[in-house]
Amino acid sequence: MASKSVIDELKKTQILELLEQGKRVDGRALDEPRELSIEINAIPKANGSAKVRLGDTEVLCGVKIQPDKPFPDMGDKGIFMCTAELLPFSHPTVETGPPRDDVIELARVVDRGIRESNMVDVSQLVIEKDKSVVGVFADIVVIDYDGNLFDACSYAATAALLTSTTPKWTMVDDKITLVDGEESPLPTTTIPVSITMGKIGNYIIVDPNGDEWDSMDARITITTNSDGNICALQKGGSDGFTQEEIVQCGEISVRVGAKIREKLKEAQQGSQ
Amino acid sequence: MENKRKYVIPGDLVTTGPFRPEQNVILEGKKIISTSIGISEIYDDSVRVIPLTGKYIPKIDDLVIGKVLSHTSLSWELDINSCYVGFLPAQDVFGRDFSAHADELSSKLKTGDLVAARIANFDRTRDPLITISDRDLGKIDSGSLVKISPSKVPRLIGKRGSMIQMIEQATNAAVTIGQNGWVVISCESPEGLLKAKKAIQMVDEKAHIANLTDQVKEMLESKGES
Repeated sequence: MASKSVIDELKKTQILELLEQGKRVDGRALDEPRELSIEINAIPKANGSAKVRLGDTEVLCGVKIQPDKPFPDMGDKGIFMCTAELLPFSHPTVETGPPRDDVIELARVVDRGIRESNMVDVSQLVIEKDKSVVGVFADIVVIDYDGNLFDACSYAATAALLTSTTPKWTMVDDKITLVDGEESPLPTTTIPVSITMGKIGNYIIVDPNGDEWDSMDARITITTNSDGNICALQKGGSDGFTQEEIVQCGEISVRVGAKIREKLKEAQQGSQ
Repeated sequence: MENKRKYVIPGDLVTTGPFRPEQNVILEGKKIISTSIGISEIYDDSVRVIPLTGKYIPKIDDLVIGKVLSHTSLSWELDINSCYVGFLPAQDVFGRDFSAHADELSSKLKTGDLVAARIANFDRTRDPLITISDRDLGKIDSGSLVKISPSKVPRLIGKRGSMIQMIEQATNAAVTIGQNGWVVISCESPEGLLKAKKAIQMVDEKAHIANLTDQVKEMLESKGES
């Protein structure tokens, strides 16, 4: 059985015909993302977690914070790492075994968006310079797939990090010791928001759903920080974007991203 | 005394005696045991279980709707909503003088195309052989695909086609029903298309309800007036 989903030509034609009239298959505007719902602390035992639904796409992120050895060239900085994984029951074409290219890309794009925005203030995560630091690991699993995993995973990781609490460790006799009862929020500096746009024909659509995802010619994921500056970008698909389109995508990502950021802030405040 | 039809789950004893086990039952000693969730039916000499749900199991001569997944230089592979992949040989489309060097398969059918096809041969040991060389078969150029559960297809057709005829007449749509649960609706008017789609989805959801025909009729008529 083929492990790649193939969209039927009739659906593809329908999507394109509707776009020519300025409509989308699910009735959204071209620059309108699907409804986003965020559930904070979906995993009570994790240091932080969030379950995010973006339309029918559902992902879960858990954050684990623990002492770790620093990278040799970054002894004065903590570690941040983000991974992503698709569960076999998230979609009929997903199978167990080593991750496919698109899943590796997913993890890297989500990780880069958060890393390059410097959201997690890793300089504050040092227990003893060059010896021991705090590692923050955001692990994402996809529960249900209906297109645009980039954004859903990114929102889940961001929401989970925003609401994470970190325990405190100190060095006692060269041993890392947990300081009981001292917990503080994870130091964060900004809220990165990724916006993924698909290109079908000459139309740019925000947050493509599963059918649109299968029929689009190219895609671009742009992550912006709280100041509205672009901090990461990933382009995929076989078609290209013109200069004007790239500028347009940048503007959309700032504008739509601001709305999503408000939702993330709401979720953060709601959890406190 | 045995009643004729009853609901069974896997492992249930359907009956004992000199019966021939047909679909979804196994014979263990003299016991005939169900292997799926469904309704058991006992005939004069045979026993079968009609499943309530599940994927499509190909049967020879079934009309199915297939989606082209890929092709080699000799054949296409079709998604027929089954655990088996449909196998459509190039000779079936190009004719006997097909040449793997001269003829390019994607010129006739490309990935993503929908076809109305028939199961030409299937014996569970190899992937089902598909044919499109018959009247009314071949590539589907227009319409809208609706997916329902394969086990609900008989309900959608109705007794001697009563249900589907009613839907077609009320909406002026042409409906092609694949036994694999894929249905293509084509209709001139968008309203008729939407209505037919809704009716078909209604049958899929409410297949177990007794007076479904009346309910569908009501829905079709009420919408027609508004």
